Amino acid sequence: MRLKCPKFLCFKDKAEIFLFILASISIIILFLIIVFVLNEGVPAFIELGFSNFLFGHRWSPYYGNFGAFPLIYGSILIVLGSLAISVPLGVFTAIFLAEYSPRWLSNMLKPIIELLAAIPSIIYGFFGFVFLAPKIMEFLNVGIGEVALTASIILSIMTVPTIVSISSEVIASVPKEYRKASLALGATKWQTIKSLVLPTAKPGIIASLLLAFGRAVGETVAVLMVCGCVPQIPSPPWNYLEPVHALTAAIALDMGEVSWGSLHYHVLFGLGVILLVITFIVNMIADFFIKKAPRGVQI
Amino acid sequence: MKTVKEKTVLFLLGFSAAILLLAFVAITLFIGVGGLSAINFRMITTSIRKGGIFEPIIGTLYLLAGTIAMATPLGLATAIYLAEYAPKGKINRIIVQALNNLAGVPSIIFGLFGYAFFCRFLGLGISLLSGWLTLTCMTLPIVVRGSQEALKMVPKDFRVAAEALGAPKWKTIKDIVLPTATPGLATSIILGISRVAGETAAILFTCSVFLTKGLPTSPLQPVMVLTYHLYTLLVASPGTSTDRAFAIALILLGLVILLNLLAYLIRMRYRKRWKW
Amino acid sequence: MKPKIEVENLNVWYGANHVLKDISMEIPEKRVTAIIGPSGCGKSTFLMTLNRLIDLVNGVCVKGKVLLDGKNIYNPGIDLTELRKKVGMVFQKPNPLPKSIYENIAYGPKIHGVKDRKTLDSIVEKCLRVVGLWDDVKDRLRDSAFELSVGQQQRLCIARALAVKPEVLLMDEPCSALDPTTTRKIEELIQTLKNDYTVVVVTHNMQQANRVSNYTAFLYLGKLIEYGPTQEIFTNPKNKLTKDYINGKFG
Repeated sequence: MRLKCPKFLCFKDKAEIFLFILASISIIILFLIIVFVLNEGVPAFIELGFSNFLFGHRWSPYYGNFGAFPLIYGSILIVLGSLAISVPLGVFTAIFLAEYSPRWLSNMLKPIIELLAAIPSIIYGFFGFVFLAPKIMEFLNVGIGEVALTASIILSIMTVPTIVSISSEVIASVPKEYRKASLALGATKWQTIKSLVLPTAKPGIIASLLLAFGRAVGETVAVLMVCGCVPQIPSPPWNYLEPVHALTAAIALDMGEVSWGSLHYHVLFGLGVILLVITFIVNMIADFFIKKAPRGVQI
Repeated sequence: MKTVKEKTVLFLLGFSAAILLLAFVAITLFIGVGGLSAINFRMITTSIRKGGIFEPIIGTLYLLAGTIAMATPLGLATAIYLAEYAPKGKINRIIVQALNNLAGVPSIIFGLFGYAFFCRFLGLGISLLSGWLTLTCMTLPIVVRGSQEALKMVPKDFRVAAEALGAPKWKTIKDIVLPTATPGLATSIILGISRVAGETAAILFTCSVFLTKGLPTSPLQPVMVLTYHLYTLLVASPGTSTDRAFAIALILLGLVILLNLLAYLIRMRYRKRWKW
Repeated sequence: MKPKIEVENLNVWYGANHVLKDISMEIPEKRVTAIIGPSGCGKSTFLMTLNRLIDLVNGVCVKGKVLLDGKNIYNPGIDLTELRKKVGMVFQKPNPLPKSIYENIAYGPKIHGVKDRKTLDSIVEKCLRVVGLWDDVKDRLRDSAFELSVGQQQRLCIARALAVKPEVLLMDEPCSALDPTTTRKIEELIQTLKNDYTVVVVTHNMQQANRVSNYTAFLYLGKLIEYGPTQEIFTNPKNKLTKDYINGKFG
């Protein structure tokens, strides 16, 4: 006789039925999210045409121009700028915490850096809007302070904890034997780190910056408050001192004013779909790299 | 012997860490100094119509309480089911993976969903109830993921020991697994709450309005919330009401720091308590 | 001799891995039966089939019969709680529950419906006395079980298993994590236990099997090679494999 092999709907006790029902509710709701956003967003792609919507250069919803390209470009520009700041800062800090700083200092710094990720985005928006933007205007002598650079700086602070905590964990999980072997050959500490520890930890570090990318691209309120919200491609396109607009900011700004079921409404959900697709792709690639990271590292 | 290069490297690394510390100090100082000079007891307890921030504070507490009441049982039940009962096959892995992905979905997406599904499709309108439901959706993946981690940390030995004595599965979970995992579960819930407390994007068009006539008397009424209020103060009418903006920011920052500190302390104590 | 457990054509697979092959044997009541064999031969798996703790393993498949007092424990309607109350188990690594010393012992009886405080107190004291731990811990019953030494923890686990009044006691290499002195104490304990219980002990230590058991079974690569009175197995093994193993030629 064969032991009953586990089946999907074969309950062991009453507790399991109860838990199963609650779990199903939450899982169904969570899947509904995807379904609903797609359901409301896809009409925009159909009505406007896929490439017109994605690559259209004019975003002026009140005149019926729904080209999402400036928004996508703005989002990517801001996020890449933020990574340009947060990646070196984050990785260096991670190396410092994992390899150089004394234990007490790491124990003190880590929670503080993690707190940076917990501070509400509205606070960052406030800080950027009232403090950083005027400073940028003053020091860089630009017309307004709410430009791509300001958004990048704010985003870099918001997402750097992701990079630091994951990277330092990956770096710390590189086996001690490797280091000993290298140090025994006469390599200095930095040489060991550079030629041995970092290459081993590389997949994890890449995963961390992808996750940071995902967080940054979905950030809404802080970006909205400091990016200027001008739907344009700066000239030259890499000019960080011009205001831009972002996917998330456009959704947040317009959603309160659209009428339900209008094209504008569907277009905003369409932007949501684009955002979802970007975050899913980024998270999937990050997952791929996490699986390549040294064992025992959990994200 | 340290070469010049080694020293330069160390300086650069330490400098990076210092910048992050500086960023934290700058933000807390900015909010702290501005907030402390603006906030006072009268402001906290006075109605919004008389220049206070009473309604948004209480509204935020309403929002938090309802979300906790919904997200905690749902999240824990889901986590326990997935970690302890669900057959460990492909379906389970896909669900867990999907939940992980949802934890990374931007909060504005939850706002969109909440508006389309709860406010419109279910006809709940811009209301406290829509806010609870939307924020529950947003925190669920976080709570489920954190709780699953906490449950996984419970050594298998404990379960085997209890089952070998003849304890039925749910009793093993209730008597052994849950008590052992409690600190971890509490931490995950606290971190979920902390995210809700500071959330703006997801409530922008689901539950909050700039001004209401006092506090909501039913879950179907809209509610004033600190984050949303701060957002409108800054975006819609910049320059005015700076005092109130600073006070709200201070309350939010203080709340979030306190919650995270609490989670941190629980984690620290938990590590020391059992030696297994 | 009346058999307590009869195993008939027992086969176990872990996925595609056939770990127990067609095992049939009778385990006599109130005797100590030792299971010996090289590591990976399926000793522990065999033990886990006797109280169906093997159900906890993912992707396992069991075929065959295990009769306890003549009733097949793999019958669909069997009450696992009742089965595990009758068939207690002690593990290789001591695994106290994250509770106090007292609660560790009292947990089992509580599950099976003992609520009366005084009865629980007396069960705790009696079981701790049986394993010779009472004098060491009577003043700190409320302390965490993790504060005991490893040897004490193992004796606590035996006491915990005894507290539910089992009829059979399964022991999976109960001494492998312990020092020689504690090992000797536990071996003596096993000797006294056989007056009241049917004991099945898995061990990789042949001297131990020789010292404590009345019957010995030799498992090799999932097959039961030889089974008989310990005396015979050790002095006059019939199978060449058994002989080689006992003489330390492999394993």
